[in-house]
Amino acid sequence: MSLNRSFFVPIDSPLHRLNPLTKLTFVFAMIISAFLSVPDMAPALAVLVLLTGFIGKVQRQYRTVLLKLILPAILFMFVMQSVFLPGGETILIQVGRFDVARENVRAAFLTVSRVFVMVSSFAILLLTTHPSKLMADLTRRGLPPQLAYVIISTLQILPQMQAKAQTILSAQRSRGLDTESTFLKRVRAIVPLVGPLVFGSLVEVEERAIAIEARGFTSPRAKTFLYEVPDTRADRLIRWTLVIFTLLSLAARIWLS
Amino acid sequence: MEVITQNVVYFIVVLAIMVLLFVWAYLTGRMQKEFTTMTWVLIPVAIAINLTIGQIVLVLKLPVYLDSIGTVLVGVICGPWAGALTGALSNIIAGIILDPGWFPWFPVAAVIGATAGVMANIGYFKNWWKVVVTGFIIAVAATIVGTPISILIFGGISASGSSIITAFLLETGRSLMTAVLTTNFIAEPVDKIATSLLAFAILDGLSARYLTRFPRGENAAVEKGQQQVQLIIALVVVALLILFGIYVLPSITSG
Amino acid sequence: MAIVNLHNVTYKYPLTETPALQNVNLRVKEGEFVAIIGRNGAGKSTLCYTLAGFVPHFFKGELTGSVEVAGMDASKSHLHEWVLNVGLVFQNPFNQISGAKYTVFEEIAFGLENIGVPRDEMKVRVEEAMRLTGISDLADRSPYSLSGGQQQRVALTSILVMQPKVLVLDEPTSQLDPIGAREVFGVIRTMAEQGMTVVLAEHKVEWIARFADRVVALHEGKIILDGTPREVLTSDLLLDKGFGISRYTSAARKARELGLWRQEQLPVTLEEAAEGFALTPNASPKRRCESK
Ligand SMILES: Nc1ncnc2c1ncn2[C@@H]1O[C@H](COP(=O)(O)OP(=O)(O)O)[C@@H](O)[C@H]1O
Ligand SMILES: [Mg+2]
Repeated sequence: MSLNRSFFVPIDSPLHRLNPLTKLTFVFAMIISAFLSVPDMAPALAVLVLLTGFIGKVQRQYRTVLLKLILPAILFMFVMQSVFLPGGETILIQVGRFDVARENVRAAFLTVSRVFVMVSSFAILLLTTHPSKLMADLTRRGLPPQLAYVIISTLQILPQMQAKAQTILSAQRSRGLDTESTFLKRVRAIVPLVGPLVFGSLVEVEERAIAIEARGFTSPRAKTFLYEVPDTRADRLIRWTLVIFTLLSLAARIWLS
Repeated sequence: MEVITQNVVYFIVVLAIMVLLFVWAYLTGRMQKEFTTMTWVLIPVAIAINLTIGQIVLVLKLPVYLDSIGTVLVGVICGPWAGALTGALSNIIAGIILDPGWFPWFPVAAVIGATAGVMANIGYFKNWWKVVVTGFIIAVAATIVGTPISILIFGGISASGSSIITAFLLETGRSLMTAVLTTNFIAEPVDKIATSLLAFAILDGLSARYLTRFPRGENAAVEKGQQQVQLIIALVVVALLILFGIYVLPSITSG
Repeated sequence: MAIVNLHNVTYKYPLTETPALQNVNLRVKEGEFVAIIGRNGAGKSTLCYTLAGFVPHFFKGELTGSVEVAGMDASKSHLHEWVLNVGLVFQNPFNQISGAKYTVFEEIAFGLENIGVPRDEMKVRVEEAMRLTGISDLADRSPYSLSGGQQQRVALTSILVMQPKVLVLDEPTSQLDPIGAREVFGVIRTMAEQGMTVVLAEHKVEWIARFADRVVALHEGKIILDGTPREVLTSDLLLDKGFGISRYTSAARKARELGLWRQEQLPVTLEEAAEGFALTPNASPKRRCESK
């Protein structure tokens, strides 16, 4: 996997300066509207999200994410759905047994726009928000601190375990383990890989639990935070706008159908 | 559009049931018991196991995902709620760092952890054949929750490998719902039984002394004795059930 | 005033038959620096966990007798109250990294965030603690990128910043290289000299002899010796029970058999040995001539 660290790009930009909750509200407003409002809303939102990605001065990284992760998946879905979805009257193209109907292309375009909005708005949040700031802000607002612990801890453990997996994989290969050839051999390759990977990290759990208990992890007192994450008037304004926008877009769906 | 409306109703019903269960477990204190510091520290490790092994399997090009071994582990030794949380967070975090396309599947992952937990609580994670049964039940649960998501979010055909089967079934004239359901019913049991068996092998390798640190460590206490016959029977029954399912599903869903 | 008071403590881990601690009685005065020695499996870690409240609160199991530390009673207090008064540092530096933080500074602040220390005070305390342990220059590094010795000092700092009344250390240098060990020992010494109550399980007897006020020897879960470093570390009992002892003690014991060591007391450190041999009248060459 190419992107095995968090997406965050450490620079300063208007989007970076926004409060994490504001960006999270943006993500959910976009997703809810794209999926639940009138169908034509989704492509419009996709354009909006795309444009937003370029205010954050993270164009380069955003483009990489778009090209490497989002577009291939989306194109695949688009083609498969256009060709294979059942029904449809107006046939646009026909190749042998496969036909592409206009209705299905429309449906596929709609689905793909929705998925684009979901994935892309999420990517923008992650590119412009440091995970520990996001967690600090959400914890301050009532997210259980244990959840914040789990998320940050995973983000740190995962690359370590991936590196370990890589080491084990190459070590086993050099010892003649077959990871390329026949199906059965590849199935059998799994077991000697899994053992060394998991047991060590499972045994560490006990000591780490002791270590964080020793540092007041279960303290019932109200937590405080090392970093202050600013929440400005503009933030609140944007959040309310997004909430109202979402409500209106839901109303539009009910009213128009 | 009709399929979508059906699915929305379905989602609301599922959500209501979940909220009720949540309130019940919270008020009776069952949920809180599962979340000790050991659980909180185990969950990140379990998620890392999920995603790392998931990637190894991709490297080995095997026709399974095996991306919920950690989720099943937590479900078994900490409890269903802890398992559900592990599954959900696993997909959310994979969405953060690997590919945002993981994100919508988090309810499926949660159900996998919860089912593993419930099965382990009734003693079905103690020897090989029981683990096969558990794997099958997990697969059924995953199919029930995964199918509507697949249709509602991805229009039935996502970017995953098994979508090829769906496309094939659609070509043979099945309805969208039938095609997706059947696809999942073929792909899931193999994967979830393999996942459960691997999780069981890992638990078998951990000392009882270590397992007692976890809220439901006793769930993984292995029953001794030869059970090869039972194991074979379990596998055969499961295989028959899958075939039967593939056969009757179309008539159920088209009704 | 005893800040630690264990009376007749017997403890069994869950699923075990033999007690890991048996009738342990231990009193530690405020400001005292007590070292615990013992072979592998003697119960040193268990004793440390008991002082730090993890036995029985975290490990469960069966505890009889009374445990009182810093005015708390194990049968009444919760673990989260206990950790406010007693700090615990143990062997593996890597496993003591919380995982919840990206930099050393944040890592050290983690405990203070958990117990609700206000932000301004938190920053001051973290900086002060880092200065004390000499890791100020690591503030912005990732805890995972450090050497074992540095990680262990981060772990120690993360505990010290919480200002415990008693500091319990379970073989904190056993997994470090000599340089890392020296750095960690330096910090422990500073803490002891500043008057903190310190309990340290440790193998390096020469270091203990130089700096500890008192040594307790554990064997199969029982305290078999308790006294000044000299008394305990040179006792013949340690030899019988297979404890690791100072090479200077062994050398002097051998010398005594040969009549080359005439002092009452056996030495533990290099300095004591040198001094003792210097005081021995008519040293070796002459005697060797006589015996010819
Ligand atoms: N978690 C545990 N569960 C059961 N027995 C344990 C556990 N930890 C240690 N023991 C046993 O308790 C005894 C004392 O161990 P320990 O305190 O770790 O000794 P030391 O630190 O001196 O090497 C040993 O016999 C050991 O096997
Ligand atoms: Mg020990």
